[in-house]
Amino acid sequence: MAEEEGESLIHVAIEAEELFGIGPLSFTNSMVGALLTSVLLGLAAWYITRRSSLVPGRLQSAFELPVELMTGIISGSSSRWRGYASLILGFFLMILVANWIGLLPGVGTIGIAHIEDGHEVIVPIVRPASADLNFTLGLAIVAFVMFVYWGIKANGAGGYLKELVGEPRYMAPLMFPINLISEFSRLISLSMRLFGNVFAGEVLLATMIALAPILIPAVFLGLEVLFGFVQALVFALLAMTYIATAIAEHQTAGHDDDQGEADAAHADHPTAAEAAPV
Amino acid sequence: MAREPKPPPPGRPPNWALGMDLGIRLGVSVAIGLGGGLLLDNWLGTIPLFTLIGMVLGIGAAMVTIWNVARNAMRR
Repeated sequence: MAEEEGESLIHVAIEAEELFGIGPLSFTNSMVGALLTSVLLGLAAWYITRRSSLVPGRLQSAFELPVELMTGIISGSSSRWRGYASLILGFFLMILVANWIGLLPGVGTIGIAHIEDGHEVIVPIVRPASADLNFTLGLAIVAFVMFVYWGIKANGAGGYLKELVGEPRYMAPLMFPINLISEFSRLISLSMRLFGNVFAGEVLLATMIALAPILIPAVFLGLEVLFGFVQALVFALLAMTYIATAIAEHQTAGHDDDQGEADAAHADHPTAAEAAPV
Repeated sequence: MAREPKPPPPGRPPNWALGMDLGIRLGVSVAIGLGGGLLLDNWLGTIPLFTLIGMVLGIGAAMVTIWNVARNAMRR
């Protein structure tokens, strides 16, 4: 009996579970999580933009804190940071809220009961969106497309292809597939890392709640708050780095390595006129 | 006395994030090469030709990834 209860508590499906279908389309519980995240962020944005003041109150400060933190980091990434700052901020806030929604009471535990293989299984109504590979892969595809877009924008389609083909040209048959695999590894890496970490957190919490329902899960809930933040930060910062690297590579495309080293040395040891205080 | 303004935060992820990215991308590069080779082999019935080629390309991509990440990190 106890084992049966344990089994039903530890049940965490790796794929998002269907709540209802509309024709060939299925509406899953992770879609509910994603919608909830979007609605929460939309409401927060609406509230803050209507009630914002020059001297922020506590609530406004709480909302502005992550935005200022990320803007500060992004502004140091490249000279064109304004072009992609909103995208990176969007990634960060979306993933952060999606991760933390999974820690709210009722998420993952309140659901619709149905019989599967003779056992009663509860399908949660809400599942954190980032615990679904479709969501994380979608975000990674957006990041990948933007990274390629900035690469092409900075140097044109021909220049981007030249980067993929590499130097010297006679090595192109070998280097092109290698560079292509390296580019695609970013897409898979971004999506799998986020999904793996969040899903592992969900499984860990479910297991801990099943094994020791009192006090112990609180420790892991605290850790998940931290991991949720870290994963959102890592995704956003890596997406930012990919874009900034694409722009930086193309900005220095006309320079050879010696010139690049000379530039770096110049940055480390500026001339007296540049170093003099204004 | 006025406090010294803080220097702007560097616009790059911390080293642990780069390491985490690199660690996953190494494995993923080999997996993509190997998986692609297997798919081609199954499709064309040429086992193990493309599997081996894919594996070599995947390992090569992993090395190129290390090179690119290290080069970009040292540039900054």
